[in-house]
Amino acid sequence: MDALTNLIVKVGRSVGGVVGTLYQAGRDTVDTVIRNVIPFMAFISFIIGLILTTGIGDWIAKGLKGSASSLGGLLLISIVCAIPILSPLLGPGAVIAQIVGTLLGVEIGKGNIPAQYSLPALFAINPQVGCDFIPVGLALGEAEPETVEIGVPAVLFSRVITGPLSVVIAYFASFGLYSAAK
Amino acid sequence: MALSGLVVFAAGVTVDKPTGFLGALATAAEDFIKVFNKGGTVLLSLMGGILPTLIVLLTAVNALVRLIGPEKIENLGKAAARPGIQWYPVRYMILPFVSVFMLTNPMAYTMGRFLPERLKPAFYDSAVSFVHPILGIFPHANPGELFVYVGIATGIQQLGYGLGDLAVRYLLVGLVVIFIRGIVTEAITAKMMSRAEKAA
Repeated sequence: MDALTNLIVKVGRSVGGVVGTLYQAGRDTVDTVIRNVIPFMAFISFIIGLILTTGIGDWIAKGLKGSASSLGGLLLISIVCAIPILSPLLGPGAVIAQIVGTLLGVEIGKGNIPAQYSLPALFAINPQVGCDFIPVGLALGEAEPETVEIGVPAVLFSRVITGPLSVVIAYFASFGLYSAAK
Repeated sequence: MALSGLVVFAAGVTVDKPTGFLGALATAAEDFIKVFNKGGTVLLSLMGGILPTLIVLLTAVNALVRLIGPEKIENLGKAAARPGIQWYPVRYMILPFVSVFMLTNPMAYTMGRFLPERLKPAFYDSAVSFVHPILGIFPHANPGELFVYVGIATGIQQLGYGLGDLAVRYLLVGLVVIFIRGIVTEAITAKMMSRAEKAA
């Protein structure tokens, strides 16, 4: 009888554990969505509304069309974003990357930028990723202050090389992407 | 749209277009509210389009990560610290992928604690560069910065193409890029460290 009770308790406990985990996961998710995702959606929607209804869109389109629909232009964007002084300023919260990404998305949707450029563009707008966060990120990895002192410029200099390089790799990887649909 | 009902003057199609000073004001008011009507439509399509899928996906993956237990990946961190060329892909591809997937941004960088000091900047660079390429397939890793990917993906969707191809390529190219980034940053860090030692 004791064995049976034990079994029931064991099964009940593990089922309860799984259900509790799932419920907690749902709670965390809704928390993240309300606190991080929906506010950004609201903000992005306003910007898209502004672009689509006012003349700003055409103005941006003219500026972006030349630079975002050629490898050279995308390289230029990535080099600017990777400049060691600019990159930590462009980094925080990836806000700049998200806004530029949305602008490019609007232009891709309108057909002003070819769809296969979406892949290199994702890398061109983002060589500055995490450049604002290097000291904190290294501290999370329990790095010594001396490591942080060298690590910050090391990562920033590395981006000058790897930022444009990532665009080139993505450019070659984008062959055949959405091109058959044309 | 329920909102357009609020804008009384938008409904007056049959009357003459207002002229003069007041007319200019009326046109300005219409143009003003048009921006927000359009924005509202976009917001609704985002909330109706990607948000439900996102919530369900986030819940499932969050539950999976909790059931597995994030502490399970610590052995991988220790393996990545080993010297030798065969551990480079582990350190700058597998470990960043697994830590970003399991621990998400920004806790993924805590895996750097298993590595020696000279490798920490390179690992950080590698891991932080992966928090966006992973978004196409696993948005739970960095939901606060979703629009780096979704912004561009929305344009692709408007053209009527599937997103799978872009998402997979973004992830794969991302893996290649973080691998290169790790190696380059490791080399630069080594050079700067030896220079600092000489100066000291």
